[in-house]
Amino acid sequence: MAEANLKTDEILLDMRGISKTYPGVQALEDADFSVRRGEIHGLVGKNGAGKSTLMGVLMGIRDADSGSVAMDGQELVDASPQTMLDAGISYVPQHINLLNTLTVAENILVGNLPKNRFGLVDWKAVNEDSQARLSRLGLEMDVRQPVEGLSVAERTMLAIAKALFANARLIILDEPTAALSRVEIDLLFSFVRAQQEQGVAFIYISHHLEEVFEICDRVTVMRDGRIVGTREISEIDVPILIHMMVGGGVQEYERESAAGEQTVFEVRGLSRRGAYEHVDLSMNRGEVLGLSGLQGSGVDELAQALFGLDRLGVGEVLVDGEPYRPGSPKQAFESGVAYLPQDRHRFGLVQLRSVRENVTYSVLDRLVGRLGVLMRAGEQQITEEYIDKLGIVTPGTEQRTLLLSGGNQQKVVFAKLAATQPHVLILHEPTQGVDVQAKVDIFNIIDDLSAQGVAILIISSEVRELIGLCDRILVMYEGRITDEFSRAAKDMRPEDILLAIEGGRNVGDS
Amino acid sequence: MNRAGPNRLVSLMVDNLIWLFVIGAFIAFSLLSDRFLSPYNLGNILLRSAAFGMLVLSQAYTFITGNFDLSVESSLGLTAMFAALMLVTSEAGGWGWQLHPLLVILLMLVLGGLIGLFNGVLITKVGVNNLLVTIAMLFVLRGATYGISPGTSISFFPKEFTWLGGGTLARIVTDDGNFVLSVAGIFVILAFLVGHIHTRYTQFGRNMYAVGADADAARAAGINVDRVVIIVYIIAGVCAAFAGLLQAGRLNAATPTMGANLIFAVHGAAIIGGMSIYGGRGNIIGAFGGVLLWSILDTGLNIMRVSPFWIDVSRGLLLLFAVLLDALRVRYQRNVQMRMALAASTIGLDDKEHSDG
Repeated sequence: MAEANLKTDEILLDMRGISKTYPGVQALEDADFSVRRGEIHGLVGKNGAGKSTLMGVLMGIRDADSGSVAMDGQELVDASPQTMLDAGISYVPQHINLLNTLTVAENILVGNLPKNRFGLVDWKAVNEDSQARLSRLGLEMDVRQPVEGLSVAERTMLAIAKALFANARLIILDEPTAALSRVEIDLLFSFVRAQQEQGVAFIYISHHLEEVFEICDRVTVMRDGRIVGTREISEIDVPILIHMMVGGGVQEYERESAAGEQTVFEVRGLSRRGAYEHVDLSMNRGEVLGLSGLQGSGVDELAQALFGLDRLGVGEVLVDGEPYRPGSPKQAFESGVAYLPQDRHRFGLVQLRSVRENVTYSVLDRLVGRLGVLMRAGEQQITEEYIDKLGIVTPGTEQRTLLLSGGNQQKVVFAKLAATQPHVLILHEPTQGVDVQAKVDIFNIIDDLSAQGVAILIISSEVRELIGLCDRILVMYEGRITDEFSRAAKDMRPEDILLAIEGGRNVGDS
Repeated sequence: MNRAGPNRLVSLMVDNLIWLFVIGAFIAFSLLSDRFLSPYNLGNILLRSAAFGMLVLSQAYTFITGNFDLSVESSLGLTAMFAALMLVTSEAGGWGWQLHPLLVILLMLVLGGLIGLFNGVLITKVGVNNLLVTIAMLFVLRGATYGISPGTSISFFPKEFTWLGGGTLARIVTDDGNFVLSVAGIFVILAFLVGHIHTRYTQFGRNMYAVGADADAARAAGINVDRVVIIVYIIAGVCAAFAGLLQAGRLNAATPTMGANLIFAVHGAAIIGGMSIYGGRGNIIGAFGGVLLWSILDTGLNIMRVSPFWIDVSRGLLLLFAVLLDALRVRYQRNVQMRMALAASTIGLDDKEHSDG
């Protein structure tokens, strides 16, 4: 059906047979993607589906191994960022890049301010000119205010406007609504539609599927580096779209539950304004609990707060029945709670130091002998024990972690956490950025730890992995826990869980 | 957009707070001491802080681009000493070249510019941290000043040379004493005026602000960020050389310690004048206000015969206040952004109710 329409509608962008391989990963495989003139085209897929690689190729910041990109039937050779800009392709990132301390007017005309006959900047002309340009796009804002005084939606519209002033004909919007309220979304959408009517095309990348249905004309789904298909939005619904995103493959991993009876971790009515509301959850000894939600749903904030990296807010948390209110990661460790951060480069490892130092940082207290001198032999022993247990591939205990592969770095972080002998382990996106083999190793480590009685909370957007690993999965949406799936109830279906993550719990029923 | 209105007003006030302080300090000292308002003293305020003012101007330039240059105080000392050595006879401690004052002035400006070029290239092209580069240069240049000096101060400069730093344009005789319109005072006002026009009304000046606001965004807008930063360091070096010439001219002497330990006072004056080390904020006129406030405080406390130790304490407190003000300003702006992000978030706020209407 889509093909039939393609013949009648004028094609603006045509990407054909795009392939891209990274060492060990086929990021894009023979991807065909096209956008019509004046169309809003949704691009959806899970993390790692290949969206960003495809857009990288389109922006000229990634070189494709093979394939072609054409605008208006004209093939774009020598794909550099400048070539793509010149061809009218522009990118508006999620975090808008504007000169925040300067005025709207100056942002619009930066680098090319109107001058008077003495060659000096004519501020009156700057303001009038930029105001007139914005008005032509139907955008009314005070051009003399600094950009830092604008709302996020206004900044996004300003970024789109700037792209249009630079003669953009195809604008890539990357998660533009992630930080917007409903009112602002409406504002942004009406602006985007107005530009669409002028013939501007948009690629709309979003995890929020309802918005894709709201604004897009067509949608393309990607999965595992391949284009699954392109559909007219009127021909499909959310469940079909999710089915396309998830696919029908089998789960890669499934483990035996080691959950016991005794409750070791309990959260009761935890709320923090602007982050999460009335969160209740509990974990038994040896239980593996999954928690998933979109960016901004509160999962990230909750994870950090539970480890003392941020305020907990009101409510109660119990570890082994004792009240738990960590003021810092150190206190969390002392209470038996360990945390694997999402960004291990920033939080997890001291990259320039050795494996030994990284593994033993958190347990140095225990290794101090008489006279306060560190017992090197103790450090050595612990490190070797975990190198062995977790199968860390390293030339020795003194190797700098910087020089290890991503998967092995992740194992060092695990070793560091396991060395603290925690009762509760919180893992934040544990498989992000590691290869397949390292993933399996990490699953085995999780399995081992849970068998030893550690209660493990996994916060992840990899639903399929969660299903394989977890005894139960909780879904968070807009700051609340909205759904629970469990192996016992046999309702851990990826489609249902993804639907719940998107906040569309009732879409399927209605 | 209504929301932005009051914010803008507060921002405007915060950015121009300096002039309230200047006027307040002026009135306070006028009331506290009857000698503060004397014609002699008023003429003296600017003259005495001319060199200091040029250093503040140099830092205002670097601040706008989100940089700073700690070495300017040493450049002041080096250029003053160099100039002295080339001007005077060997009996007076110089090299006996007795070069023409105008040539010396020109050479010193070039020297200042070259020091700035060196700093700028190291920071942009080699990618060394600006703190480390300029601290290193602070030591190198001060050490070199001691190294070339005869170990004592050098004086007895030709009149043509001291005119810039110590000359008088006009003298108004009144019953209360003489009001002296100094060359240096007028020079520093003109320098700030040129700086204001340059940063506010030229493409280059606006590019400086863009670089300071967000170097990546500036690069994306086609601005040659490295070039802007290098030129700014050169300008800062030339300003520091002017400071050295003004100082040596006013004192009719050069000592190896000239300018030492001034830099933090310079940064304090610039920051209290509304500049921010984070870049992209403030303006040259405000920085001039910072110079005025600093020297009014200095002169006022001097006149009131406050002990030098307590003057130091008051300088320190003003500096602390300036830094605090900068932190508060950043925090205020961050709060505004935070409130907007919160208002924009879909959780925990009442925004959704409005979407129905």
